[in-house]
Amino acid sequence: MSDIRLPRRRFPLITAVLATASVAVAGCGSSDSSSDAVPNGGGDDAAASGLEAVYEDAPVADDAAILPDSTMAEIKERGVLRVAAALDAPLLSQQDPSSPEDVEGFDIDLAKMLAIYILGEPNIEIVPPASETREALLQNGTVDAVFNTYTITEERAEQIDFAGPYFTSGLAVATRADNEDIDSVEDLNGKDVIVGANTPAVTAVPEVAPDAEVTSFATDPQAVQALLQGRGDAYVQDYTLLLAAAANNPDIKIAVQPFTEEPYGIGLPPEDAEYKEFVNDWLEQIQEDGSWSEIWEATLGTVVEGDAPTPPEIGSVPGS
Amino acid sequence: MTAVIENLDPLLRALGTTVLILVISAAGSLVLGVLITVARVSPIPVLRGAAWAYVQVFVNVPLLALLLLAVFALPDAGLLMPLTTTVIVVLTVYEAAYVAEAVRSGINTVASGQVEAARALGLRLSQTLRHVVVPQAVRAVVQPLGNVMIALLMNTALAATVGVVELTSAVNKVNLVAAQPIPIFTAAGLTYMALALAIGLAAGRIEKKVAIHR
Amino acid sequence: MSHSGAFLYDAPGPRARRRILLGSVVSALVLAGVFALALVQFGRTGQLDADRWTPFLDWPIWSYLLVGLRGTALAAALVAVLAGTFGVLLAIGRLSRNRPLRWLSTGYIEVARTIPVLLLIYLMLFGLPAYGINLPVLWKLVVPLTIANAAVVAEIVRAGVLALPRGQMEAALSLGIRRSQAMRFVVLPQALRHVTPSLVTQLVSLIKDTSLGYVVAFTELLYRAQVLSAYNRLLIQTFLVVALVYLVFNGALSYLAARLRTRVRRQVAPPSGPAEQAADRELETPVVR
Repeated sequence: MSDIRLPRRRFPLITAVLATASVAVAGCGSSDSSSDAVPNGGGDDAAASGLEAVYEDAPVADDAAILPDSTMAEIKERGVLRVAAALDAPLLSQQDPSSPEDVEGFDIDLAKMLAIYILGEPNIEIVPPASETREALLQNGTVDAVFNTYTITEERAEQIDFAGPYFTSGLAVATRADNEDIDSVEDLNGKDVIVGANTPAVTAVPEVAPDAEVTSFATDPQAVQALLQGRGDAYVQDYTLLLAAAANNPDIKIAVQPFTEEPYGIGLPPEDAEYKEFVNDWLEQIQEDGSWSEIWEATLGTVVEGDAPTPPEIGSVPGS
Repeated sequence: MTAVIENLDPLLRALGTTVLILVISAAGSLVLGVLITVARVSPIPVLRGAAWAYVQVFVNVPLLALLLLAVFALPDAGLLMPLTTTVIVVLTVYEAAYVAEAVRSGINTVASGQVEAARALGLRLSQTLRHVVVPQAVRAVVQPLGNVMIALLMNTALAATVGVVELTSAVNKVNLVAAQPIPIFTAAGLTYMALALAIGLAAGRIEKKVAIHR
Repeated sequence: MSHSGAFLYDAPGPRARRRILLGSVVSALVLAGVFALALVQFGRTGQLDADRWTPFLDWPIWSYLLVGLRGTALAAALVAVLAGTFGVLLAIGRLSRNRPLRWLSTGYIEVARTIPVLLLIYLMLFGLPAYGINLPVLWKLVVPLTIANAAVVAEIVRAGVLALPRGQMEAALSLGIRRSQAMRFVVLPQALRHVTPSLVTQLVSLIKDTSLGYVVAFTELLYRAQVLSAYNRLLIQTFLVVALVYLVFNGALSYLAARLRTRVRRQVAPPSGPAEQAADRELETPVVR
């Protein structure tokens, strides 16, 4: 252990007292050295350094847009955007344990962009949600926004508001690389299928393959591990999560491309129309100025072939 | 209540899994725990040390950490068993440490004068244990062992965290769909209480059976 | 007395000593064999490779885990204080002469002792938010643990009170002080001192229980271990290291409990009647969850 690396402390941080793994995020990219502290890491350091320029040119809201007594004004006064996001979702929202301030990925980088839009700096505090508690976190004001592969549904839209959709994905099927039995969702019949607890796959799998034996695991890493160990033949999960898993694990492949359409929205507190409009405005701006695509390229784009997709049209989904 | 009745079938199956895990790990941990106690009071220092270390590990490391290790980590070293089997094995070795502690304090309740008397009569160790120590220790140990078994029942719920569909997991699943937490969770709580009560009553009956009538 | 089982047999003679030596050698060989087998299995699957262990020599990894340990300590401290207070009150309630109070306390203790903490946690996580009750993550862990541990603490304290010679209470009452005062100033202080070892043992048990923070996504040691292992994919190593941290941390407390136990036993006069013997036994029983 010749070179001991201390985590960088840019901002006075981790007010972890109240259980939120508070993470103040330094605006600059992470040091490349962090990756060899954790071998086989799922993080993508190159991506972060590529985004510095994006952050620098990120749009900042006019003072006029921050209406007095609005949610935006409240956030600005507080100086930090509180976000519900995962810490263990590679390429979407992954914490680097060797420097815990660095959380990177498509979801979380967008959250930082929103923070810049309101505050002028990417100052966010992350609350990792436990599965289906996201609506509650918004309703009781624990967080200002949810960036968490959060599918827009009409049921959820009755309880909270959605900005976006900002990305379209879907459920896909992953198997071990040497498995040749599964080419379509129908092939899941009679197989042991792993799903994430409380994810759309729990209900979607019985619909497309009624004879599948479903086992659910609490977290995505657990489910990936279970697939690798042969506790199931296939793992049905969101395409982006599976892509990240496959990118990290040569023993996993995507066997079936997305067979559902999951429009992801930014979860917002209910009945706050001006805040929703504000966030949608921001989303439109970063889509138009190309930063949305740049963030996609730096994160999900590293494992998907081809150019960045066209972002979905805002408000195009029932519930948004 | 309707949610419970509508989902009675999966709930009962899950209850079956809970009972299965409970019964097998209970039997296993009782046997293993007694063996560990024997090692712990044996004249062989190496066995005593090993038994001591065993108890220390399982009394001080959280069951959940052991479960995650066994279910998700050990397969990386080529040690892979079906989910429920893994849970049963982990619960067995974990509770065995508590069984060993309970049995040992039971042995300690036997007055040393009795053992000395037995020895003075020329009984060998095995005879002393069989005719003097064990019959008395058993009485002192029934109630504490009952408590260990109730703790084991509580601990079977942790199987839910590693993907086994036992009662707690099934209840949670039903609630996520039906969204009637109060009746659903109350029903589950009552079921656990009934199982614990059954263990307690069984322990009470056994205790009465082996009681000394003075 | 060299160890707890020593009174069971005579001081060994030459033949017995030889047999003990043989037994030691054989059992040492068997244990070493099992251990070697495990190592070979680990080695064959590459789990012993140096680069799978060296990350744990890096300070950032430890600082990451230590933040988790801090969360564990915070949650445990909160539960200890809350469950301790609540538990003593429940014990007094169960020993009280006021019938409704006694029944209520007894009922609570019996119910709380026989419901899995995880079920309560799921209720907090997935059930109660539907009724608008949604606590911060820390409290989703602390409240269920307090509910369960208060019942156990109550039973420990009650056993301590029952183990105390009745003369203590009688003497206090004969001095003309009220029952509640006698409880507060005479009985409870002594009882609590007797049961301190059991309370420390229970503290170990509740520290172990805080690992359920893993389920509610509260930043404690096991949750951090999970995030870390998802990142470095060194599952065996991460969980073994974390188990070791728990072992050292709790082992120290267990050792303290054992030390206290011998000290308390030395200070307390040997029990005289069968009733007290029984109560004393209850005291020694390791409390488990």
